[in-house]
Amino acid sequence: MRKMRLFTIADFKEEEEWLEEMHRSGWKLIGMTPPCFFYFARCRPEEVVYQLDFRNRRDGYGSAYLQMFRDCGWEYVDSCMSFHYFRKPAALMEEEEEIFSDNVSRADLLGRIWKWRMMPVFFVFFGCLLPQIWQGVLGNVSRDMIFYLSCGILFLYLWIIFHVGMKFFRMKRLLRQDLH
Amino acid sequence: MEEHIKKVYVPMTETGFYILYCLQEPMHGYNIVQRVLQLTDGEIRISPGTMYGSLSKMERDGLIRFIREEEKRKIYQITDLGRQVLSLEMRRIRRLYRTVEGRALEDTAPCSVELA
Repeated sequence: MRKMRLFTIADFKEEEEWLEEMHRSGWKLIGMTPPCFFYFARCRPEEVVYQLDFRNRRDGYGSAYLQMFRDCGWEYVDSCMSFHYFRKPAALMEEEEEIFSDNVSRADLLGRIWKWRMMPVFFVFFGCLLPQIWQGVLGNVSRDMIFYLSCGILFLYLWIIFHVGMKFFRMKRLLRQDLH
Repeated sequence: MEEHIKKVYVPMTETGFYILYCLQEPMHGYNIVQRVLQLTDGEIRISPGTMYGSLSKMERDGLIRFIREEEKRKIYQITDLGRQVLSLEMRRIRRLYRTVEGRALEDTAPCSVELA
């Protein structure tokens, strides 16, 4: 079964919960296609913990990385745009388990996503989008379709930056409070 | 020791301490997870994401070095810099231990101290 569902880079916790809910109702994840297609197969309904990590090759993603997870009993499902999907049946856990066991590494995850995913967004926003619209507003360039299209994209970018920025800020604050 | 190393590793996280402590002999990540479970009576289970990230960071900062790969598992060992950081940490932890045991002032004052 194919399902389409859009999660931003800041919604990975919601994504995990959704995948757990799917597995609970008898659909296990078998793969993804960017940007937002999930593939599921029928399975026995079960309580399974899903976890996402973000790591590209420059951060050390590779066969040794996946082996580490396998050794610890986490099944690797698939990867999608540097997000890696792991799962482990709750029955195999002695206590609640996650793929990160301290807040330093949870904060590092946020840092990696921010660096590799949000920085390019800022780059496009300040480097291309804003100058283009600025030209359209002040310059003699006629306000054609491209100008209005850019405005549309500008608002989309503003929403993404606001949504992701706020969520990251809240998650970081929670982690910091936990540390003290 | 560089300022950056001191800032990041002194004091150290519990995970960081156990990893460095275990790597006094060559081991791979999963070895360390199991050894730490033994050492702490099952109380500390280092998760794979945390383990992998900590090993990468420590290798980058020169506290441990990669020795070889066996069946897709990277084996690491502590470096001289790592030993320096570990001994600083051990000294700090011994001081904490003396404090919680109520023996903090023993070194300076030979007589026992009665806490009110």
